[in-house]
Amino acid sequence: LTITDLMSMAKPNLESQKRILAKLQGRELMNCFLCIKCTSGCTALKLLELKPHEIEKLVNFGFVDELASSDIIWTCATCLKCIQRCPQKASPYHVIIALRNLAVEREAKVPEAYMKAVSQILENGLAESIQKVTTKKMENFDRESLKLPKVKGPKESFQAIFMKALEEK
Amino acid sequence: LTQRIIEGHSPQAIPIMVPVASSMTRIGVYVCHCGLNIAGVVDVSNVADYAKALPDVAVVKHYPYMCSEPGQRMIQDDIRTHKLNRILIATCSPRMHEETFRRAVDRAGLNPYLVEIVNLREHVSWPHSGEPEKATEKAKALVRMGVARVKLLQPLERQRVSVEKSVLVVGGGIAGIQASLDLANAGFKVYLVEKSPSIGGRMAQLDKTFPTLDCSACILTPKMVDVARHQNVVLLTNSEVVGVKGFVGNYEVTVRKNPRFVDEAKCVGCELCVKACPVKVPDKFNENLSQTRAVSIYSPHAVPKVATVNPNYCLRLKTKNKTVCGKCVQACEAKAIDFDQEPETVALKVGGVVIAVGSDVFDASKMFEFGYGRFPNVISNIEFERISDASGPTGGKILSPKNGKPPNSIIFVQCVGSRDKRFHEYCCRVGCMVSLKQAILVREKLGKDVSIYVCYNDLRAFGKGYEEFYRRARDMGINFVAGIPSDIRSTGDDSLYFDVFESGTNKLLELHADLVVLANCLVPSDDVNKIGKLFHALRSADGFFLEAHPKLRPLDCSVAGISLAGVCQGPKDIPDTVSQASGAAVKVIDLLSSGEIELEPLKAVVDKDLCSGCRICDALCPFLAIEMKKEPKAGPEELRAEVIEAMCQGCGLCSACPTGAIKIQQYSSSQVLAQVDAAFARATAKGGTRR
Repeated sequence: LTITDLMSMAKPNLESQKRILAKLQGRELMNCFLCIKCTSGCTALKLLELKPHEIEKLVNFGFVDELASSDIIWTCATCLKCIQRCPQKASPYHVIIALRNLAVEREAKVPEAYMKAVSQILENGLAESIQKVTTKKMENFDRESLKLPKVKGPKESFQAIFMKALEEK
Repeated sequence: LTQRIIEGHSPQAIPIMVPVASSMTRIGVYVCHCGLNIAGVVDVSNVADYAKALPDVAVVKHYPYMCSEPGQRMIQDDIRTHKLNRILIATCSPRMHEETFRRAVDRAGLNPYLVEIVNLREHVSWPHSGEPEKATEKAKALVRMGVARVKLLQPLERQRVSVEKSVLVVGGGIAGIQASLDLANAGFKVYLVEKSPSIGGRMAQLDKTFPTLDCSACILTPKMVDVARHQNVVLLTNSEVVGVKGFVGNYEVTVRKNPRFVDEAKCVGCELCVKACPVKVPDKFNENLSQTRAVSIYSPHAVPKVATVNPNYCLRLKTKNKTVCGKCVQACEAKAIDFDQEPETVALKVGGVVIAVGSDVFDASKMFEFGYGRFPNVISNIEFERISDASGPTGGKILSPKNGKPPNSIIFVQCVGSRDKRFHEYCCRVGCMVSLKQAILVREKLGKDVSIYVCYNDLRAFGKGYEEFYRRARDMGINFVAGIPSDIRSTGDDSLYFDVFESGTNKLLELHADLVVLANCLVPSDDVNKIGKLFHALRSADGFFLEAHPKLRPLDCSVAGISLAGVCQGPKDIPDTVSQASGAAVKVIDLLSSGEIELEPLKAVVDKDLCSGCRICDALCPFLAIEMKKEPKAGPEELRAEVIEAMCQGCGLCSACPTGAIKIQQYSSSQVLAQVDAAFARATAKGGTRR
């Protein structure tokens, strides 16, 4: 192989890069020319130090292994600003999602919140749990007191399909 | 006196006279606001009021745009109604609008050389924008000086000379070819002089051209044939310009035709002599990557397709012994080999010149860090072109010169020799696109498994279709590394490696390659130096030819009657070169088409009574405009300086004259000293403010 990351002695994993490219349906979503606009506007940059351009470029070179096992790919808030604003119609978001998929395939450690979201979906079909609301006057409301209809849980067939998909990874 | 001159006496009739302002002098002073460019800093109405009090000033006006049609008409009306005979315009630089105002004044019946420009923009409002009060005072002082000078201006007439309707084109690359074709099609006789045995230049060496990947030879060769066959073109290959005399419209050029030792009329280009020749010679056309023979045809597409004997290698010519070798003579069925040929001198008379001598490619062995010259598999971009070209040393197969095998990985390194204060500060303007094209060619020729990296610091894809080409390269899996290596090393076997800090990923990377291609920049060649000296053409700090104005006269050389085309004026790609060449041709057509030209009268004139014949002016004149002539009345050996008006550019160097015999029209001592006196005049005339 012709390229080495001298900081971690990592080599590119062209096999995994190829799988990511297949998911992205070609190179268009990583066709980056380093204007770094995505990172300039990244919601997750200031608190979580996510630099989308670095991820985009690393996958471009084939350095996917370190990324797939890192925490950083899970910090993306999926605000999708990077897709909207990229002058080259590239998308670090899609690259990050593809990396997350790869991480799950490899049974890498997935942050707890994501696992919680999965169980929520299984339970009631929503990524978030149904919460109570407190107003400025310290009154509490929930769906029942607001006379909103009850959220029906997903059908059993959905749960079956979802579980099957999870097992298949 | 003033009146008499205005009525049409030529200045030649009274060449040296002490200018005296007459009481009839009526000056019009016009202060331009230039929008807010001047009026935003200088108090223009204050300046105008001040000018009213200056002696001999009859009319003063200020106006937002003097150069506009109503502004010009205002001056013309005033000349008629107020009988003005001197005009002072306080406005922008005379380089911008002096000619505009001269024409306007001329149309109103006043001699155009009775106009003086005072520069209130570049000399006052722009540099002193922070100090408006002082700027206004400076503007007043300049107007005062201008009024003092304008009184003493002399009416001058423009001389008309007839011109030769033929053109010399120096250099037979794509620029020279295009200029020659355009000129020849417009009906001008063209002499196309090329140093090499064939025309075609750099473009003939290229494989494909960006961004369309047209084959370079396919689009160039037809033009080479067209220009050689054109009835209005005289093609002089293997020839050099060795002497230039004369002036705009009437140049006398000497061309030396170096001997080919082959009769051009007899040679059929069969190459039997080449096969017979026993002496191997590095092939210049192939960038010395292969060998040719001491007698050879320059390139497969050579025009004219005629063999040439290289006198530095031919055994017979080196030994000067007529019995040595002679294998080519035996092999040639057309009996074209002629060892008795001598250099031939051709004298040409031409009206205009197009200089299109091209450039060299930077020698990367000057940069130790990249290993060019030490490692055979570090090559230059022009060498890559030959390797990739179907007519090149490898038949178009991309092979490493180190081991003759196709490389598995190729790295391009950008900005070699350019954007580098140690060598050339400018951007070479083609390096990025050349490397993109070469990277795409590698991908197309060697397939998807070869690794391709481009190490760059700014990738500049600026032209039509260029950014799209860059995007295409990225789509093809060509990797772009944002960083330039500092040190290229050999692994000891057949490959190379280096470290590079990649600023996109913020990582130090190590790259391995079987072949490194350096994006060498274009540099001014020795020919730029040589031809520049012959034609007295000025060069800019980068070493290329200097254009007359960077924005408004980019095709004109600093010398009248000479146009510039192609890379000799500054690095550029093929589309820009072809456009510039056509433009340069049009400039020459514009100059010569009427058959005569007007010469600017601001020239040196000699007072023969004062001239002592010391030759100082002759030695100083950079335009060879001084001729020392025998003066019959002055005795047998006495010489007197004479100015060849058509060659004089009015630069004023000859004013170094120790006896004051030579002066530039409109810049006599009295005219300049009047300005100096006004500059230092503490007490100004009638009511002018005292400071």
